[in-house]
Amino acid sequence: MKYCYLPVLLVAFEVTQLQAQQNAPPPAFPVQPNASAKPSAAAPAIVAVPVPPPRPNGPIQKSLVRITSTEVEPDYRAPWNAGGLQRGIGAGFVIDGNRIMTNAHVVSNSRYLTVERDGDPNKYPAKVQFVANDCDLALITVDAPNFYKNMVPLKLGGIPELESTVSAYGYPIGGERMSVTTGIVSRIDFQLYTHSSIDSHLAIQISAQINPGNSGGPVMQNAKVVGVAFQGYSGDVAQGVAYMVPTPVIRRFLKDIEDGHYDKYVDLGITYSKLQNPAQRKFLGLKEDGRGVLVTTVVAAGPCAKILREGDVLLAINDHPIASDASVELEGEHVEMPEVVERKFKGDMVKFDIWRDKQPASVKIVLSTVWPYFVQGHSYDVRPRFVVYGGLLFQPMSLDLIEAYQPTDLRIRHYFDYFVLEQIYLEHPDVIVLTNILPDPINTFLAPYRGGIVDEINGKKIRTLDELAKTFSEPTERFVVKMIGDGPPLVLDPKQAEAARERIKTRYNVVREQNLQEQAVAKAAEDQKKM
Amino acid sequence: MRKKLFTTFAIILLTGTVAIAKKEPALPTAKEAKQKTLSLVRVNVTGQPYDYFRPWQKKAPQSKRALGAVLSKGRVLVTADLVANQNYVELERAESGEKSAANVQVIDYEANLALLEPAEKNFLDGITPLDIATDTVVGDRLAAWQLEPTGALVATEGLVTTIQMTHYPVDVGQFLTYRVSISMQYRENSYTIPLVKNNKLAGLLLRYDSRAQLVDAIPAPIITHFLKDAGTEKYGGFPSAGFSFFPTRDPQLRTFAGQTGKPGGVYVTSVEPNMPAVKAGLQVGDIVTEIGHNWIDQNGNYVDPLYGKIELTNLLTAHAFAGDNVPFQVQRDGKSLEFNVTLEHRAAKNYVVAPYNLDQPPLYYVLGGVIFQELSRQYLKEWGANWQKEAPQRFVYLDRFQSELFPEGHRKVVVLSQVLPANATIGYDDLAYLVVKKVNGAEVKSLADLAEAVKHPIDGFIKIETEEDPKQIELEAAQVAAEAPALQENYGIPSLERLE
Repeated sequence: MKYCYLPVLLVAFEVTQLQAQQNAPPPAFPVQPNASAKPSAAAPAIVAVPVPPPRPNGPIQKSLVRITSTEVEPDYRAPWNAGGLQRGIGAGFVIDGNRIMTNAHVVSNSRYLTVERDGDPNKYPAKVQFVANDCDLALITVDAPNFYKNMVPLKLGGIPELESTVSAYGYPIGGERMSVTTGIVSRIDFQLYTHSSIDSHLAIQISAQINPGNSGGPVMQNAKVVGVAFQGYSGDVAQGVAYMVPTPVIRRFLKDIEDGHYDKYVDLGITYSKLQNPAQRKFLGLKEDGRGVLVTTVVAAGPCAKILREGDVLLAINDHPIASDASVELEGEHVEMPEVVERKFKGDMVKFDIWRDKQPASVKIVLSTVWPYFVQGHSYDVRPRFVVYGGLLFQPMSLDLIEAYQPTDLRIRHYFDYFVLEQIYLEHPDVIVLTNILPDPINTFLAPYRGGIVDEINGKKIRTLDELAKTFSEPTERFVVKMIGDGPPLVLDPKQAEAARERIKTRYNVVREQNLQEQAVAKAAEDQKKM
Repeated sequence: MRKKLFTTFAIILLTGTVAIAKKEPALPTAKEAKQKTLSLVRVNVTGQPYDYFRPWQKKAPQSKRALGAVLSKGRVLVTADLVANQNYVELERAESGEKSAANVQVIDYEANLALLEPAEKNFLDGITPLDIATDTVVGDRLAAWQLEPTGALVATEGLVTTIQMTHYPVDVGQFLTYRVSISMQYRENSYTIPLVKNNKLAGLLLRYDSRAQLVDAIPAPIITHFLKDAGTEKYGGFPSAGFSFFPTRDPQLRTFAGQTGKPGGVYVTSVEPNMPAVKAGLQVGDIVTEIGHNWIDQNGNYVDPLYGKIELTNLLTAHAFAGDNVPFQVQRDGKSLEFNVTLEHRAAKNYVVAPYNLDQPPLYYVLGGVIFQELSRQYLKEWGANWQKEAPQRFVYLDRFQSELFPEGHRKVVVLSQVLPANATIGYDDLAYLVVKKVNGAEVKSLADLAEAVKHPIDGFIKIETEEDPKQIELEAAQVAAEAPALQENYGIPSLERLE
């Protein structure tokens, strides 16, 4: 799994912001407009095509639904607030078992979902069953007993041929009637999935027009689903380039949830490099057979830790030879080595034939997720974690935090970019940033500390946000916060902080002074009900 | 890869000034003007910066035309960035057009000053040298002197609005600067523009913001410091103490640091290795309350007799020379201590990542097509004016936090900057911007270390270990040696190494 930025614009479903966020504290860093939160241009009225075109895919209206989601975007700059309210429109389609498939980004962070279908004036409340943010797929369902009556579940097909024609169905730019576009299959390759922005999976590039509102809609060929439309480039980057989630990814998702729980994609937690240099191959004692890749980093929090080492050569995975350009042959196709792992599930085993110290060996890896990667990706349906103490806002670093504040500070950027590769998480599982200061007489001199990363408090290493919160709750004469790097310590008098507490809470409308658990919002609501 | 830059400030000048001619107040009389004209010479410079992306070669020559202030003893004062990386310097008398080649006598890149002397001894005869006025204060009016193509004087008057410490172009420490509000018109490529007060030199233009119509000038006290130093046998350079500090405005920080009595002083946040402050015994957490018997306030300012409150670093640059003993009054754990700090100039080569490298060729080592260099800010500046964002961020990080990341000092960071495709480097051609840790098992802390380690292959292989992926690459020593002539021929590399 490699992390990189691509200029891919999420073809988010049509989004309009319902309510401006309020009570945002003074910005600590210049704010960039949030691309997905920007309302698109007003949708022009679209006239339905009077004469239906040839319909090789059958009556898709009987399978297609229009999904309206009301969602709450967490506000990382005022994390105690519920966040901004947005409404979005996307597409979905019925599959077997009275389930509706759509994109994760259509339903993530959603608080209320309704579904509409062709020729039916009703809006049906819907529920999210499963969300897979890492592959941008979700299943929702409608409880209304009659909803699925007359609906035709779509069947999944395979990977369409290059240059073959496909049709995309959905509700682009806010239209209420189904829209069809066609195009050809342009490319089949690994692609960054921008919804999490950390996962790369197989994706199929098609030339059919895909626009906001197409998200979650089926892409069909020969009356079978060959993909789910999900992302594309914004018009100024590239045109006629759209992507769909292909059926291997869809099938994997459906299989994963069979046990009633989505376990996410598993990963090896390693980086490797190609072994194409003859001198390097000779040095490692390898044959001139064009096989093997060099293990360059083993993530300590990953499944290969203590099993693989830097400098090992991977020769085969589950008996599929690994070529020196990191490709393997799988069912007659040359694919990247991670494709083998892609198809596996949590707890599955892979076997590597390796070459270590010029000797062959064999190792087995029990696959799992690698948590430090998640820090570098987007989170959904979670509450931002934070601690406010003495008007100082402490937040653990994550992609969402970085996007909210857009810090230019080199140290913060370095700690983010190298969180996994330099194994920073071993010392600081939470990289706790003093992101903002709510001004008050007790902290009026502390502005220069903003953007600092907490290292120690009173001589004790602070590894997690919980430890920070716990430390601040312990009685002491003063708190001496050492930030990472050469800087002065930040000194806080707990008596003063306590005295200022209510004042700061009231002045800045801080309804909650900390959130330590990234628990799912829905679960939190349930817990509240029980109380 | 991005190229260009270096002459940021020349470019600003070239493109910037489009002020409309205005009636100038206090124009000198014709008689005075004639006399003033004589104190300036034109300076024509052809320079050729080194190309850090092809470190064996220089970039295309660039010519600059500027003014120089004629000083006593046949010397001409210009800014250092005018003559940095020069191949040829020529002086030209404004009124007659006579020319003479010139040499750079002394250059200080940090203070951005240089002294030229004409090759022809009597070339400046008849020119009245400029005296120096060091008494400029806020509110004074200074005239910027430029020349018309005819050689006639153009004088523009401006007001000194601020005198403060700022960063100079090579960004080593801070120096005193005059800020002058002036609506200057641009004449020719006036690179070095003298600012004059009562016919005496008060400053030299450092940078000009044409939109805000603000000039920053190298002030006379820095110029006299430079000239005094230049008059000694060996130019010492501006000194520094080698510590960083933080204001003590926060009473909670003062209490923590154990400060008693009158609030004031600065909190020492770091001490540079092998530098005067640490040698004298200063420690992180000390509060420096006096430097050279000047009281330092909570913001780090002292009261200058001429300017009033100004940052303490001025005491260590404009007011002191390398080798001076400066008493520091320090509070540590509530006790007062005195240290005598013997100031030193810190040469660029004594940094882990050199802040500048001018008039000197970059070091490099080419091994089978793999190019190694020592990380320097000069290299990073190849990414242009915006290098701090454009250059490889890991390198910018290493430069910025060098004293934190390499507290032992006394070393360089050797990087694999790029790979020239060749037989020996098949499969490596995408590698770039990696930090070299070891070669053949030996730690690499300089390019010389690397060159030495390369001589000791492991079973015929040269093993290079990097901080970043791919962590290791190997080359066959015999193949590298055999293919070296072809590599040189192919890529036009006159020599495969420059180690000093």
